[in-house]
Amino acid sequence: MREAITVRNLSYAYPDGTGALEDVNMAVYEGERVAIVGPNGAGKTTFLLHLNGILRGSDGQVEVFGKSVDTLKREEIIKEVGIVFQDPDDQLFMPTIFDDLAFGPINLGLKEEEVRERVKKALLTLGLSGYEHRCPHHLSYGEKKKASLAAVMSMEPRILVLDEPTANLDPRSRAELIGIIKELNEREGITIVIATHDVNAIPALADRVYVLNKKIIAEGTPQKMFSDVELLRENNLEVPEVFKLFEVLRCFGYNCEELPLSIDEAVEHLTKTVAINGGHIHLHVHEHTHEAIRKLKSKYEHH
Amino acid sequence: MIEYPEIDRYASLNSPMHRFDPRAKIIAFLFLIFSVVLIPDLKVAFIGLFFAIFLLILSRIPLSFVLGHLKWVAMFVLSFFVILAFTFPGKEMANFYFLSITAEGLYTGSLITVRAFSAVILIFPMIGTMRFDMTIKALDKLKVPNSLVQMLMFTYRYIFVFADEFQQMWTAMASRGFKLRTTLYALRTIGKVMGMLFVRSYERAERVYRAMRSRGYTGNPKTLVEFEIRRRDYILAAFIIGFAVSLHIISFAGVV
Repeated sequence: MREAITVRNLSYAYPDGTGALEDVNMAVYEGERVAIVGPNGAGKTTFLLHLNGILRGSDGQVEVFGKSVDTLKREEIIKEVGIVFQDPDDQLFMPTIFDDLAFGPINLGLKEEEVRERVKKALLTLGLSGYEHRCPHHLSYGEKKKASLAAVMSMEPRILVLDEPTANLDPRSRAELIGIIKELNEREGITIVIATHDVNAIPALADRVYVLNKKIIAEGTPQKMFSDVELLRENNLEVPEVFKLFEVLRCFGYNCEELPLSIDEAVEHLTKTVAINGGHIHLHVHEHTHEAIRKLKSKYEHH
Repeated sequence: MIEYPEIDRYASLNSPMHRFDPRAKIIAFLFLIFSVVLIPDLKVAFIGLFFAIFLLILSRIPLSFVLGHLKWVAMFVLSFFVILAFTFPGKEMANFYFLSITAEGLYTGSLITVRAFSAVILIFPMIGTMRFDMTIKALDKLKVPNSLVQMLMFTYRYIFVFADEFQQMWTAMASRGFKLRTTLYALRTIGKVMGMLFVRSYERAERVYRAMRSRGYTGNPKTLVEFEIRRRDYILAAFIIGFAVSLHIISFAGVV
């Protein structure tokens, strides 16, 4: 598979000399979904800013589809990599939603008709048709967040980078946005890179996880990361509630090798277990159940 | 909630002023405003004021909305009126101890007051009858320097964001017992809050600039807009500009 993003030995220090990134290595394959997790101030946003050349390391450290971002022109980079920033008020800087969505395509040098077509398509994808002439300050936070994504989608990038896409959203907007991101990946094959704290969104949004805390601490499937208690503890990370619940069920004798991370996986798992056990699930309290529960609780105590 | 400075609140109404092409409207009204503020004669200035009110009524913008804004202008302008009336040299009309009102002072004061009110009233049918982004785009189409257009554009976008931020800080202060008094402590606190607001806007500017560069900003953003100037617009513009010119012909000829 082709590498969409390649990062080699990337280090970055803020102008005041504080180190932000140390020797970061990462490979994201085309069509893949990768999540970057890590505590506050771990350098996630700083890292993302390197992916389209807003911040630069030294030569050839960041490559997009095999080309170094240092040698690419700005239009060429932004055509490939679209970044959606966390605060929609930073992202939406034009007077109306239409102007904002048209901003990127115009800068790509597209013709007026093509620009209008792209804006229309992006609005449709995000379910924002009819919002063309609304001002950003008249929108709800969820709508602004969707508009931010639309403003990047109108440039039709092959790689979509999102900084905390689900932060501060109400449950419905959050679910909508997760659904849209998933669909963009599945339908259009867009490579997704997400920096997030929202562990419950990771199973739906990521095939692979990088733990970043100035350095890359760990890399692997969500399953592998969430099973590593020490890793989670050291980097102030949470595990999905479903994962915890099935750990509890395991103390009650539920047979489960690989713990489910999401409701969907849980349903699948339960269905399979019920089928194997002839229509039932057996849970029971052993002598050691209480001890196991106590241990389990203390395991997650730091949270 | 705080009141936003929404000059374009009534932009969605329908009136001859709303249908007026934005570019023609801006040119015609600017012409009229300059004409009105340069009128040397009080009687002619009153004709200008009546015309301004006529255009305002034509625009269907609610009077209460306009008066609400005029209140602040009035406070400023009327103070000029009072100062001029008392300080302008000329024939004394009345005496209050050591202060005296002169006829010339009253005349000049009234002239300035009438001109100022006319100009401010004209702002409403001009930019209150279209969405503010249309005003910005029209200015851009009229070849106003791009950096000025951008400044207006970002001011318009972020004034609401900063207003919200200030409101949040104010609420946070009030909920911890802060009351606005004329004490040194209160003033110092306000100063700090303003400072904080500057720091925040500086940081936001940095983030916004990143977002802009991420979408290919190179310094000259273009916008897409379709304006169509029709015969009706030419006629209306010619009428307004013609009126502006005739105000000066009248006062020059001393007809009134």
